[in-house]
Amino acid sequence: EIHEPEEVSVWFREGSSCCQETLARNQRFTETPVNMPGADKETDLSERIESFLSELKRCGSGAGSLRGSAETARETTALLRRITAQARWGNAGELMEIIRKEGRRMTAAQPSETTVGNMIRRVLKIIREEYARSRGSSEETDQQESLHKLLTSGGSSEDNFRQHFTHLKANVIEAINELLTELEGTTDNISMQALEHIHSNEVIMTIGRSRTVEAFLKDAARKRKFHVIVAECAPFCQGHEMATSLCKEDIETTVIPDAAIFAVMSRVNKVIIGTQTVLANGGLRAVNGTHTLALAAKHHSTPLIVCAPMFKLSPQFPNEEDTFHKFVSPHEVLPFTEGEILSKVNAHCPVFDYVPPELITLFISNIGGNAPSYIYRLMSELYHPEDHEL
Amino acid sequence: ADDSPHSITVVGGKSGKQSRPRKAEKDEEEQPLQAVLVADSFNRRFFPISKDQPRALLPLANVSMIDYTLEFLTSTGVQETFVFCCWMSSKIKEHLQKSKWCRPTSPNVVHVITSDLYRSLGDVLRDVDAKALVRSDFLLVYGDVVSNIDVSQALQEHKQRRKMEKNVSVMTMIFKESPPGHKTRCEDDDIIVAMDGKSKRILHYQRAQALKKLHFPMNIFHSGSDEFEIRFDLLDCHISICSPQVAELFTDNFDYQTKNDFVRGLLVNEEILGNQIHMHVTKDGYGARVSNLLMYDTVSSDTIRRWIYPITPEANFADQEGQSCTHSRHNVYREPGVSLGHGSQMEENVLIGRNTVIGANCTISNTVIGANCVIGDNVTLDRAYIWNRVHIANDVKVKQSVICDNVEVKHGVVLNEQCVLAYNVVVGPDITLQEGTVLSMHHPDEEDDEDEDEFLSDDDVGYSKDKTKQKGSLFNPAEVGSEGKGYRWKSSSLDDTEEDELAECIWGLALNPDPESDSESEVSEGSHDLGSHPASPELDDVKVFQNEVHGTLQRGLDENISCDNLVLEINSLKYAYNISLKEVMQILIRVVLEFPFQQQGAQISTAQYSSHLLPLLKKWAPVFKNYVKRPQDQMDCLASMEEVFLERETHWAALVKVLMSVYQLEILEEEGIMRWFKQSSTTGKSQQLRRNQGLLKFIQWLEEAEESSEGDE
Repeated sequence: EIHEPEEVSVWFREGSSCCQETLARNQRFTETPVNMPGADKETDLSERIESFLSELKRCGSGAGSLRGSAETARETTALLRRITAQARWGNAGELMEIIRKEGRRMTAAQPSETTVGNMIRRVLKIIREEYARSRGSSEETDQQESLHKLLTSGGSSEDNFRQHFTHLKANVIEAINELLTELEGTTDNISMQALEHIHSNEVIMTIGRSRTVEAFLKDAARKRKFHVIVAECAPFCQGHEMATSLCKEDIETTVIPDAAIFAVMSRVNKVIIGTQTVLANGGLRAVNGTHTLALAAKHHSTPLIVCAPMFKLSPQFPNEEDTFHKFVSPHEVLPFTEGEILSKVNAHCPVFDYVPPELITLFISNIGGNAPSYIYRLMSELYHPEDHEL
Repeated sequence: ADDSPHSITVVGGKSGKQSRPRKAEKDEEEQPLQAVLVADSFNRRFFPISKDQPRALLPLANVSMIDYTLEFLTSTGVQETFVFCCWMSSKIKEHLQKSKWCRPTSPNVVHVITSDLYRSLGDVLRDVDAKALVRSDFLLVYGDVVSNIDVSQALQEHKQRRKMEKNVSVMTMIFKESPPGHKTRCEDDDIIVAMDGKSKRILHYQRAQALKKLHFPMNIFHSGSDEFEIRFDLLDCHISICSPQVAELFTDNFDYQTKNDFVRGLLVNEEILGNQIHMHVTKDGYGARVSNLLMYDTVSSDTIRRWIYPITPEANFADQEGQSCTHSRHNVYREPGVSLGHGSQMEENVLIGRNTVIGANCTISNTVIGANCVIGDNVTLDRAYIWNRVHIANDVKVKQSVICDNVEVKHGVVLNEQCVLAYNVVVGPDITLQEGTVLSMHHPDEEDDEDEDEFLSDDDVGYSKDKTKQKGSLFNPAEVGSEGKGYRWKSSSLDDTEEDELAECIWGLALNPDPESDSESEVSEGSHDLGSHPASPELDDVKVFQNEVHGTLQRGLDENISCDNLVLEINSLKYAYNISLKEVMQILIRVVLEFPFQQQGAQISTAQYSSHLLPLLKKWAPVFKNYVKRPQDQMDCLASMEEVFLERETHWAALVKVLMSVYQLEILEEEGIMRWFKQSSTTGKSQQLRRNQGLLKFIQWLEEAEESSEGDE
């Protein structure tokens, strides 16, 4: 038997980008990072986008994301700022195109994380505004375009964004920085309003764990004494964490199973909940069990207050069924170790509930309290109608 | 505000090679995590499917299996992966080049290493060692592992152990808890593990494949631990955290082929080499290896039922163009461009690939359909796995079957459970395929010439087409229908038992009823050394062994073979039939004592009998001496003599002569004989035997001889 010499081929990722990258990185290690070569900037950027994408895809093995949506919002915005600063673009139109393209990928990575899409829309809106300001026209800042103009304009108004302005980049980055500052303060802005809504000796009910609600209650607890009932929110039982956290601030807390929500509701003065997303119609996409809670509150005419920062406001409507829901591994419902039964039953573990707007009394956002019927108005202030579809 | 943490991630994340010299100075833990992915199964279980496509590239829920493995590795923090392939390596390479793993932005750098000379996992790891690819602890997985386990905790434990006791623990195996009868457990992969409850050290590891009995070596109970678990509720995820020593150990022990060899070898030699293996049992992760089609079925359905979240069909983790599917209630997934005819129902757990057209009034449940398929009207699919570009005509029924790419199923075909239609097969019309039918374009007899070409995968398609033309008329209409194309595949009974001890059944249901499975004989060997064998093997083996011993002695007599060689032969028979030492002796005595009857007939007189037997005893004395050494052996020997004679009352007189000659030949000592004689016998018959005149005289003579010898001194 004749054996040919062992032919082993080892190959690495092809393409010049690899070599460039290696070169660039070596340079970076030796030189000061001030003079980064262009190629390095590009790969650096796409690497960051890639790692953000994979993080988005993986986040949330349990209910919702492992990090709060506030953090996701900040990270998205910071990444968009970086794209603005590092990507190659000549005018606002190109920049918007780049951001749209990356935005589509980011939203596709984790459709349930609407915050990402919202922040992309905010940034697009910023670019539009800055462009309009550079041109010196107030046309784009005009909120409501007339019906006549909408009809006659026809097609997209993109052609208008082809003009080049030297200061546009700096201005856009400046504006994004402002947005970031606004994001930093959202939770504080919401919890500042706590004392207007929570009064002494009230009984408050909440469900699961929302960082916004947590801060809201804790803020109120500095001045007032009240009782909080937390629905545990099975199967992930984030309610337990919430209760532990509230207890540490000396708030009188009771944990109840989700099934007891209706029974306990008669004693409750107010229901305060958080949400994953505020939908365009004023409804909610919130943690599983919220619909039950909202219906029980309606039955007992208990006011239902939703603490939701503005970045959770999404132009999505609840009938867009495809991306609306999120099912995670049924492990929590029926453990994998159960054995034979698994092949005979279907176990599902949904994460979200849809709560229709008519069950909601009030939204508390970082810019104040609003009724569900006012959401459409806020929506048009925050996002440009052409950006609803990325 | 958050610039700095990002730049660190980038440097650590992608610069495995470049930053090595810098990192070497630092703590070992900062080394990027590496993985060795073996994209070859080194067996033929998926034949004939894997004749055309390597197993790692077979679609599971419309994504290649290797993508699941790479996604698992990447999400668990692996930054550099070495993919080893052998069978159809060019296809795997091509696939990886196109995939997202080879994009410059991939957080996990993938190197493909191919060689036609890999024949086992052992070869791969020896090559890892020879090329010095791994720098630190690495993950070892196969290309068909589907998992979402986060190994970081296990990795930390592993590192901790290695820090505490320098380099003693070489491997941490990851198991998933799943009780017997769980659908994700497949019987051929069952294992039994004995472990130290506190340190999680594996003391004994055994595949339970078709074993009726189990033996544990005593020393595992002496391990000095007060907590000890024997577990049968574990599913081997085939994910292991290995230290670089594992590759070295494979090099040192060139006979290690599989992981099983390695684990067992290490456990047996634990005392000598001082290496240990630990385990980690994960509760909430999912991990399984698609080792046969039954596992393919379960893992697919687990994927569809979202057990492997966040690796779900709609996540499009492989980042393929146009593969974004939507998930709707009852776990129905649809990729873009799916059209569903009037009255068709997708009941539950269904995944349909892009641009697939489904006709009217179909019922589809628990099914995966690939891209660009055309399915006719009134089709019923249940647990069907249909790959790409398949055409299914009207009125077809499919139950729990796999239909590969480009297959055409004609009108009115019924596929019963566990059918496989391999690539390009045409079936029908109006034929019912029996349970377990496997059809392929490869003729089962072409096995050998195919083997020579097995690595020229590029020419493969053309090659098989040519053959189809040549033998186009030879398709058996009874097997594939009047317009069908394909041959019935008989699962090969090849001589590859040494290559893989797995049963060759593609569905993995029919277990190989081989009585001489590796593990069993190994274990019993171990227990011989301990000198006790509590349970005797089945009667059949003993009978066969007895016949064999008789034959050997007969041959020895005819051909005048020396006693040493006879001992050698009997010893090898002992191992072949898994007989304990004690039994060997009993059987040997019986065979020898019955030898004259066998030769001369059962009717011979006592005198004839003894005159025949005594020379034989003399001749074979060295054989006896080889087996009768300790006092206990003598007792056993006498007991079996007694047993033989009890069966033949007429020849009791010969017993004395036998004893006498055995005594004179110094096979038995007088002490032994005295002890046997004084033993309080249990049955009346053996008491009767002892009251035999001749025997009493012999004993008396022995006693006197003893006394006189004492007197002399």
